[in-house]
Amino acid sequence: MDLPCGTRNYDYAKDMAILRTRTHWALFIGLLVIVFTAPLYLSNYWLGVANLIGITIIAVTGLNVLMGYCGQLSIGHAGFIAVGAYTAAVLTTKLGLPFLVGLICSGFTAGFIGLIFGIPSVRVKGFYLAITTIAAQFIIIWVINHWAAVTGGFVGISVPYASIGGLSFKDEPSQFYLIMVITAACILFAKNLARGRVGRAFIAIRDNDLAAEVMGINLLRYKLLAFFIGCFLAGIAGSLFAHWVGFLSAENFTLTDSILYVGMVVIGGLGTTLGPILGVIFIRLLQQGIMYISPVLENAFPGLPAGFATGVGPMVFGLVIVLFLILEPRGLAHRWGLFKSAYRLWPFSY
Amino acid sequence: MENSRHKLAIGVVALALLIAALPLMGACATKPAAEGQALKLGLSICMTGPAAEKGSPMGHGKLDCIKYINEELGGVEGYLIDVHWYDNGYDAAKAVTIVKRLMDEGCLFFTTNASAMMTASMEIANRAGFPGMACFSSPACTHPPKHIYAQMPDYGDDWAAFARYYMENIWKGPGKPKMALHLLNNSTGYGARDAARAGAGALGIEIIAEEEHTATTMSEIDSLTRIKGKNLDIIFISSTPAPTAIILKNAYELGMYPGVTIACAHASFTKALVDLAGADIAEGVYGVYPTVSWGDDVPGMAKMMEYCKRYHPEDEGNLDYMTSWAEALIDAEILRQAVKNTDYEVLARGDAEAWQAVEMNGFRNVKGYDVQGLHGPVDFSNPEDHRGSKSVKVFQVKNGAITAITDWIEAPLIKYEDFEWFGK
Repeated sequence: MDLPCGTRNYDYAKDMAILRTRTHWALFIGLLVIVFTAPLYLSNYWLGVANLIGITIIAVTGLNVLMGYCGQLSIGHAGFIAVGAYTAAVLTTKLGLPFLVGLICSGFTAGFIGLIFGIPSVRVKGFYLAITTIAAQFIIIWVINHWAAVTGGFVGISVPYASIGGLSFKDEPSQFYLIMVITAACILFAKNLARGRVGRAFIAIRDNDLAAEVMGINLLRYKLLAFFIGCFLAGIAGSLFAHWVGFLSAENFTLTDSILYVGMVVIGGLGTTLGPILGVIFIRLLQQGIMYISPVLENAFPGLPAGFATGVGPMVFGLVIVLFLILEPRGLAHRWGLFKSAYRLWPFSY
Repeated sequence: MENSRHKLAIGVVALALLIAALPLMGACATKPAAEGQALKLGLSICMTGPAAEKGSPMGHGKLDCIKYINEELGGVEGYLIDVHWYDNGYDAAKAVTIVKRLMDEGCLFFTTNASAMMTASMEIANRAGFPGMACFSSPACTHPPKHIYAQMPDYGDDWAAFARYYMENIWKGPGKPKMALHLLNNSTGYGARDAARAGAGALGIEIIAEEEHTATTMSEIDSLTRIKGKNLDIIFISSTPAPTAIILKNAYELGMYPGVTIACAHASFTKALVDLAGADIAEGVYGVYPTVSWGDDVPGMAKMMEYCKRYHPEDEGNLDYMTSWAEALIDAEILRQAVKNTDYEVLARGDAEAWQAVEMNGFRNVKGYDVQGLHGPVDFSNPEDHRGSKSVKVFQVKNGAITAITDWIEAPLIKYEDFEWFGK
């Protein structure tokens, strides 16, 4: 991480610290205060949106490990989230296991399923790998719909509220705290993973897998590990989603969602810890904003041609994404990096 | 003298009783609405997305009818309906945030037009006690009955009603007719499957195949080829218009139709189906629909057609527009009952107490409500049966037009929750 002029690290611990200056600490504490006092000033609806953002950040962070760091394209991520969600639902509803056991098992189940679908990554990559992961999406959803004795099939399955000990997370604020704590833990995990030995191996594979293999990196092991970790996080997100929404059907996990997750990683910035956070916040808030547009236009301009007001939403959504990819293909994280660099040099940028 | 004194005493007592009863009567009567007082209604509509071909006309019908109620009828008991509507894009995650938003905004109840969107929203609403009504619904929405209601018979009822009609009026062969189900791979399709599982045996129908398709299917040649070899008599399709049109076209290409009987559940049986499949291919196809035909001589038709022509002429002839128009009339009746039987201050809070009041004093007091003839009478008074209308008509495509061939047929209540396999 770049440091302001005159700031030096004098030991290894300082060099490895994530927060290294007083400004970092001040900003971090400010962020914590803003996030953890949010239930005081946000309505249930906005807390719900924040919860959805938190859950999606975990899932997209997993996809970023797989795609951004290791270079393995996956278009079946919603399927892996579904595995986590249904695992949590079955374990807590049918077997009566505690939420935390369900959470961890969801991660591992999705991780193992991810390993199976990751095996082709040893032989194929790019678009070919994308097709195998699309197959994962379809197969998983098909199994969920037809293994009705376990999953409830098309009727769906109810999921109880999350609870730890005697504490039940029944309302939106308590769910918010639960989701935010787990989201923060997942982000920290991904951050440390990326700057450790495993993360460097992933990056080496992404940049040139042949060179990485020549350097002694075991491609099979690390590619499968990337699938496992990416899908483990998807499973964790799925478990939280299940307990948050309270009722699961396979329609919650569509191919469109999988594509949207890829879009979130790309818009946020591939291969950065910050990218998934910014990408998810951007897309989810854009979706909420778009929801406002149609009713407002319809009410404000009753003379508009039929269908125009409702068509504007998706058009704006598509336009924003296209413009974004043209104007900032390296993602929001890169833009944030440029802003920080400019700020550090200010006012003597020459 | 004695007699007149006696009469005077009786008069005084009667007057005193009348005066004493006045506040009570006043409390029972609906208070006139003050300026700015309104009843909030939440709508989660799939105006865009994969089901927009149904969601869009339904959204138009609903919003047009509420405009009519507010502008021409002066609202409900003098209170304007304050609509809070959002486009869910047929996206379950959006539907979840929308229902939370509608609860936050103090809506008295909410409606969805698609069963899948109600499925996504219902657990949150049920847990909060926030009443909801689905225009199109599957058995899972109302079984077991909690806080979610259905405007019309569900997809399972479609199958049950048509199967009975088929056995009584169409099937002339010996033995059991062989039926194949072609189902959209969601609650729309599987509502019909559940009803077939529950009732086919009793009606003497043999289900020989259950095929699935997706909402975005491009070809069903494979699935139809599989069932063609089973020498079937009838295909029952429970889906939306676009995939149903593909199935019809493919069946025509394979030479299966004309030949076998094809019938559709109400989610697909609309003008869009005839437009997409082509009038020549759709000719003769049966369908079940819970409303009258477009242009029928019923009291509510003229006003609905006037609004449709004025604001959304592209939806003329679309039964989804009519269904949703009728749903808005039911919404207004629920609100009317609620406001008649509940203090406005309670309703204005839009909280759990208001939701309970709407359910107990609004929904439960809708008894035999006539939706101006647009569909069967609506009754929510039975806490065990959350379907409003229980009636459907059988239609057939004749000369390119969807034409009713029966009067109202009552769909019996199937208590799915009593079957061990339900949800498995």
